[in-house]
Amino acid sequence: MNFTRRVTMGLIASAMMATGASAQDMPAPLDNPGDVTIALVRYLSTGDFFQAYLAGVESQAAALGVDLRVFDSRQDAALQADMVDQAIALGVDGIVIQHGLTESMKEAAQRAVDAGIKVVAFDVNVENDAIPQIEQSDYLLGKLALEQAIEDNGTSWDAGYVYVPGIAPLDRRHVAWEEVKEANSGIREVAQMGTLDNPIANSNANQARSVLQANPTISVFFAPYDEFAKGVKIAVDEAGLSGDISIYSADVSTADISAMREPGSAWKATVATNPAVVGEVSVRALAIMLTGGDPGASVIVPPTLITQDFLNENDIKNMEELSAKMPQFAHADVAMTDWMPLPPR
Amino acid sequence: MTEVDAGRAPLRAGKGWMYYAIRYGFLCLLIGLLIFFAIFAPGFAGPRSAVFIFQSVAITGILALGVTCTLVVGGFDLSIGSVATSALMLSAYVMVVMEQSAFVAVMACLVMGAVVGAINGFLIVKMRVPDLLATLGMMFLLIGLQRIPTEGRSISTGMTLPSGETADGVFSPAFLWIGRHRFDLVLEDLIPVPVVLFLLVGVLVWVFLELTRHGRLMYAIGSNERAAGLAGTPVARYKVLAYMISGVLASVGGILLAARLGRGDIASGNNLLLDSVAAALIGFAVLGAAKPNAFGTAIGALFVGILLQGLTMMNAPYYTQDFVKGAVLVIALMFTFALSHRRGGGGH
Repeated sequence: MNFTRRVTMGLIASAMMATGASAQDMPAPLDNPGDVTIALVRYLSTGDFFQAYLAGVESQAAALGVDLRVFDSRQDAALQADMVDQAIALGVDGIVIQHGLTESMKEAAQRAVDAGIKVVAFDVNVENDAIPQIEQSDYLLGKLALEQAIEDNGTSWDAGYVYVPGIAPLDRRHVAWEEVKEANSGIREVAQMGTLDNPIANSNANQARSVLQANPTISVFFAPYDEFAKGVKIAVDEAGLSGDISIYSADVSTADISAMREPGSAWKATVATNPAVVGEVSVRALAIMLTGGDPGASVIVPPTLITQDFLNENDIKNMEELSAKMPQFAHADVAMTDWMPLPPR
Repeated sequence: MTEVDAGRAPLRAGKGWMYYAIRYGFLCLLIGLLIFFAIFAPGFAGPRSAVFIFQSVAITGILALGVTCTLVVGGFDLSIGSVATSALMLSAYVMVVMEQSAFVAVMACLVMGAVVGAINGFLIVKMRVPDLLATLGMMFLLIGLQRIPTEGRSISTGMTLPSGETADGVFSPAFLWIGRHRFDLVLEDLIPVPVVLFLLVGVLVWVFLELTRHGRLMYAIGSNERAAGLAGTPVARYKVLAYMISGVLASVGGILLAARLGRGDIASGNNLLLDSVAAALIGFAVLGAAKPNAFGTAIGALFVGILLQGLTMMNAPYYTQDFVKGAVLVIALMFTFALSHRRGGGGH
């Protein structure tokens, strides 16, 4: 993109800010976005997070004006790889791979690259230099939550910890917990629990009840996944300990916001990346690649700390209000170019 | 599931040690487990601990009692888990999106459970679809159906609906009472409502199956459907009834789940299904019954609950819990099948 064009485009873009940039402003092939097809190939789709992620992908694709095809393998790793091949056969221009297993996706992703298709991957490592990784930093999610826990409770407390090993994002959050325990000898993990049996909140509530009974010294619960936190909160409420225990978690949803805002709620803070924003970033990174740019080998969407106090002070009741009151939650300034149209807010 | 009972020799008169091993072995195991955890798991012994063991099994226990009724007539209901989660979503939808009262929500769920049970029964009795297949189909159907109104999202107050509006309804306090209220018994706030319901449903199902003519006829259908039919039993009607009981009890479980969670979480309910089927099968072994029975099912559910609570208190990781659940089930089935065969009869 040459300098003069960039200036003209900047002028046009600023003139059209209210309605969003129009197609002519975008470099080829996006100057004719109706002819561009991108595919989203999903591994996980059930749940609020994935639903919001999809909404983000859809709105950014709509803002660009490109045609979006969604392939949903519903946790079938082999089918997901087949779906990449389907997308190749369909002649799409770009593919977003959302989750999946390295082993099953590596070769399929390579086939797509070989076919001249631009590919980005969200939360799955396909071990390919031509494919940028979109990530929400799970490590930072854990770290920010724990920093808040230390700020609220000092550096000497007994903790209950909810963890299920072998789940990649939880494993990355676990690293932050290990570091905090290492750095603060006063922080003791007296009990570890956790299960992914669904309904997850209910199963974890049952476990947390036993843990609280067996370990009356616990004053902080680190539950780095919102379903875990919800379960712990039910157990804390049932045990009548809401005033004595603080829960710190990761992820957020409308239901989580109301749980955090219940009077006297033990759920003090959560750290989250807006899944819709991650979806938007995934498509923007792909758009940059389609126009010949390079979004970088890894595109990290930074997380945001959300405290109970902040929610109460601003009277936030759902995700939309959270986005409105917390600009850094509504939009991440990554994978941006000066021509990039943004979804309407 | 009860064909194993058919064609056995009558009970032998001799009551050797084997008789007692089969009859009381499982209960002894349960007591031994209680003593073990009381000694080794801090905080395990005590009324509050006992109550939340009951609470943790109340929902699966109620589902298990429902599945017991279908096992009695020689059927099986794979859809209970998804009926429960459908009731969870339905109650949340009725209150949060449609802004109706707790009563309407509860009635809607019970009616839904009964209708699903009736459809299951219809498929099995009239359409001659094998029970496992009919209820499997219903399971998938419900898992999908419960997500359609909200496009796959969980339901909670303040959520944005597919139409773009915000849902303003709330879970009514009366509804939450069902899952959260505690009655005083010796200690203040001791017994939660779900536990009372679990015990109540347990007694009702037990009385129905063991003491009424209807229950006897259902057992007769289970052991030999043809003979029961020739003897004048309205087989089709009782089978449909069994599936309707199962559906209604599963929706009761779903209501309790919704009242405890306070929001409509999407979930497949497969774990609920597996846990409750395990409880019902473990129940075969209790008192050497070697057949589905309400008392055994309740004890089976408690057995699993005690194990899981005790293990959690001892900081055992989650995968050991599945292992232990499986081990208990295998041992229970061994009690039921091998030992009862050796005894030479498990007659009703």
